[in-house]
Amino acid sequence: MDQQGQDGLLTTYREGWRNRSVVGLAISALLVSFYVVLYWEHKVQQHFGVAPLTAISEAAGLRNRWYLYGFLYSIAMIMGGIYYLKRHGNSRYNRFRITVNVAIQIALGFTLPFIMPLFGGQELYFSYFWPLKYDYLYPQTLVDLPLYFALYTVVGSLLAAPVLAVLYGKRWYCSWVCGCGGLANTFGDPWRHLTSKSTKSWRFEQVSIHLVLAIAIATTFLIGLDWWIGGDHPAFHRIVAGDHWQDWSIKSFYGFAVGAILAGVIGVGLYPVFGPRVWCRNFCPMAAVLGLVQKLGRYRIKVKPDMCISCGNCSTYCEMGIDVRSYAQTNESFTRASCVGCGMCAHMCPRGVLKLESVTRKRRSTP
Amino acid sequence: MRIVIIGNGVAGMEAARAVRNREPSWEITLISEESDHFFSRTALMWVFSGQMSHRDIEPLERDAYQRLGFRRVRARATGIDIVSRRVSLAGGHEPIAYDRLLIASGSRPRPGPWPGSDARGVGHFVTLQDLDWYEREVHGGASRGGGPPRPRAHADPSAGDSPYRFREVAAEHRGQLARQPAVIGGGLIGIEAVEVAVAAGLRPHFFIREEWFWPIALDRREAQWISDRMAQHGVEVHLEHDVEALETDADGNVSAVRTNQGRYESDCVVVGIGVTPNTGWLADTAIELDERGGIAVDEGLQTSAPDVFAAGDCASVRWFDGTRRPEQLWYTARDQGRVAGGRLLGGVPRYERGTWYNSAKLMDIEYTTAGLVNWTLDRESDWFFEETGKVRSTTRVVVQDDHVVGFNMLGRRWDHTVLIRWIEERRSLDWVLAHLNDAAFDTELVPPLQVLRA
Repeated sequence: MDQQGQDGLLTTYREGWRNRSVVGLAISALLVSFYVVLYWEHKVQQHFGVAPLTAISEAAGLRNRWYLYGFLYSIAMIMGGIYYLKRHGNSRYNRFRITVNVAIQIALGFTLPFIMPLFGGQELYFSYFWPLKYDYLYPQTLVDLPLYFALYTVVGSLLAAPVLAVLYGKRWYCSWVCGCGGLANTFGDPWRHLTSKSTKSWRFEQVSIHLVLAIAIATTFLIGLDWWIGGDHPAFHRIVAGDHWQDWSIKSFYGFAVGAILAGVIGVGLYPVFGPRVWCRNFCPMAAVLGLVQKLGRYRIKVKPDMCISCGNCSTYCEMGIDVRSYAQTNESFTRASCVGCGMCAHMCPRGVLKLESVTRKRRSTP
Repeated sequence: MRIVIIGNGVAGMEAARAVRNREPSWEITLISEESDHFFSRTALMWVFSGQMSHRDIEPLERDAYQRLGFRRVRARATGIDIVSRRVSLAGGHEPIAYDRLLIASGSRPRPGPWPGSDARGVGHFVTLQDLDWYEREVHGGASRGGGPPRPRAHADPSAGDSPYRFREVAAEHRGQLARQPAVIGGGLIGIEAVEVAVAAGLRPHFFIREEWFWPIALDRREAQWISDRMAQHGVEVHLEHDVEALETDADGNVSAVRTNQGRYESDCVVVGIGVTPNTGWLADTAIELDERGGIAVDEGLQTSAPDVFAAGDCASVRWFDGTRRPEQLWYTARDQGRVAGGRLLGGVPRYERGTWYNSAKLMDIEYTTAGLVNWTLDRESDWFFEETGKVRSTTRVVVQDDHVVGFNMLGRRWDHTVLIRWIEERRSLDWVLAHLNDAAFDTELVPPLQVLRA
C-alpha cells in the first residue's frame, strides 16, 4: 500500500475506465444487464429457457438467486473496500467507517439472513429500515414477523433512525450502516468524482427525492388501509395490493419502479456514468427523511475561516454532488440535507479547512 | 459607470462580483490573456496529475460571466493611458475606455538565470499554458478531464515573453515522453511539480540551493521529515546544489542539469524559483512601480494614477512589519479584491493585513503556520515537540521574552484563528501548551495530541 494511502487518487482522470471510456460504459452495461436478469429472471426463462442466476445459485449451494446476489454484493464491498483503503486509507475516519460498513454488510446483510432459515427462522435484515425497506411497515408483514423483530423494525424506523440522525446526522445510517451506501462507497468509489455538481442537478435532486418519499408514504398508507378494508372492497384491494408485476397494482408498481429500476438498475448500473450515489442522492426515501431531520439536528460541516484556496478537491470528490467549495470559500459552516457524512471533503482538503462535527448548537464555537 | 478589470484571477473576480452585487447596471469588463474562466491556480498540480479535471478547478459555473453581466475580453493588455483613460490591447483589439480601473494581473514565474534556461523542454508551473506544456512533456496531453475551453483564443505572435505563451514541447520533437524530469527550486511550486511527476510514475530530480527544503518556512528538523517523505516516494532530493547551466542536445532539447556538484541527465526541467509581479507591461506607463516590480499602492489599494487601483499578487501592500511588498497568497488576493471592489464602487475601505498565517500540504503532510516563524527575532526561543505513534506530527512554538509569537505545525490540522488569538493575547508558552488542543482541527477519530513536557 502506498505510504500516503492515496494510490490511484492523484491519477483519477487519467484512467479511462473511471471516466466514461468505452471500458467504463461496458462495465455499466454489464451491471445493468445483471440487474435486469436478477429482477426479471422469469422473463429470461420464458424467452431463453434458462434461469442463469438461479442455476448458479443452486450449484453454489446458495438456495436462490437472492442469496447469490447477497454473496456477490458482499464480495463487491470487500474488494471495493480494499480499493477504497488504498486510495483514502490514510484517514482514520475513512478507515473506521468503511470497515464498519463492510462488516455490517457481511454480518447483517448476508450471513445472518442466510443462516436464520437454517434454524427454522425467517430471513431478516437488521440493517434496513422503512422507508428504504418499504415492506417492513406493511401491516401484513408486521403480523408475519416475529414479535421482537416487528418491534425492532417499528422502533428502528420511526424512532431510533430519526433520533440518531438528530444526534449525529444521517451519516450514522447512510455512511456507516446502509448496504446501498456501503456499495456506493466501496465498489462505486472509482467513480465518485463523476457525480454532477451543477445547480441543475441539485434542483432535480430536491424534486425527485421528495417525490419518491411522498410516493413511499402514500403507498405505505394505502397498503395499511387495504389491510383494514381491502377484504370488503376487492376492487380497491386489486388496485392497491395485487401481487404480480402484470397486475400493476400500486404495491407492485412501487416495487418495480423504486425497488428494482431506481435502486438497482439505475442506482447501481449507472455508477460508471453518473457516479455512485445516484440512488442515494436522487431517489432514496430513507435518505430524504434522514436529510430533513439532519437539517434540524447537530450535524454540520464546520469551515475554518479564511483558509480556503478554492481548489475544489472537496466538491470534486463529493459523491452527493454538493458544491462544498462554495461554502468553504465564503467561510460558511453548513448542513445540507443530502450530505451523507462520508468525510471525503474534509479528507481531501489540502488546507484542512473542513471538519465534520456533531455538537449542540450552544457548544459551537463559531456560528 | 465603466469598470475595467485586468485579470480574472481571484482578486479581479472578487472585485467584479463585489461591484455587481451593489450595482446591477454598471458596465464591467474583465480582461484576461490566460483564460476564459476564473480558475483556482493553486489547483493546477491536481489537473496535471489527474486528480481533478480542468472544469473542477473553476469555482463558478461556466455561465457566470453571462449571469453576472460581465464582458469578457480575451487579450493581453499592453499599456494604460491614464490621461485618456484607456487600456490598450495586443492582437488588434480596440482600446478599452474606463472610468475606474483595477489592475489584478498577478504574478509571473521568475525565469531561470542560467545558460540554457530558454531551451526546449524547460518551463514553469504557474500558468494554464505552463500546465499545458508540462502535461505534453510528461503525459502527452490533458487527462480525460479535458483542458480549458478556447485555450489559444489569446494567441498572439507578438507575445514574445508573455507568461501565457505556449512553449515548444521537447517530447514532441524527440518523439518520446519525458522520462527523467528535474525540478529546480525548493519551494511550494517545486514540491508540487515533483509530487505530480511521482504520480506519473517517474523519479524526478529535485535541486534545492539551500541547506534544506523551503527554509523560509521550515527549520532543519521539519524539512528533514519532508525530504524523507519525498525520498520514500522515489524523489532524488539534491540539497545545496547550485544550478550552473542547463545543457541541450544537438536538436536544442534540454538534456542535463549541471550543478556545482555534478551533471544530471534530464529531459524536462521545471524551474520553480519563485514568482515576480506581472507588471512588465506597465513599464512605459505613468503608474508607479516599486523596486521589486510591484505596483505601489496606498492603504486603499490606490495606485499613483487617479481611479486606478491594484490588488493581488501584482500590488505591493504594507506588511505588518511596515515593509511594502507583494503578498503572493490566495486569500490575501481575495481580501484585496474585496477592498478593491469597494474602491471601484466609490467607497474608501482600507486593506489591513493582520497576523501572518498560511497552510500547505507537502506531499501528504499538512502544514499550518501562524505568526512570526523563522524571523530570528531577538530573545527568541523555540519549543519543539515531535510526535510519533498513531499520528506523526511536529509542533513548534516560537517564544519571544515570555509570550508566544509564532507556531509551525506539521502533520496535524490546527485552527489558525485560535493560534492567532493566542499570539495577539500574548499568552505564555505554559498556558499555550496546556490549552493546545483547543486549537486542534483534526478530523473526528484522530486521537488528540499529547504533549510530553521535559
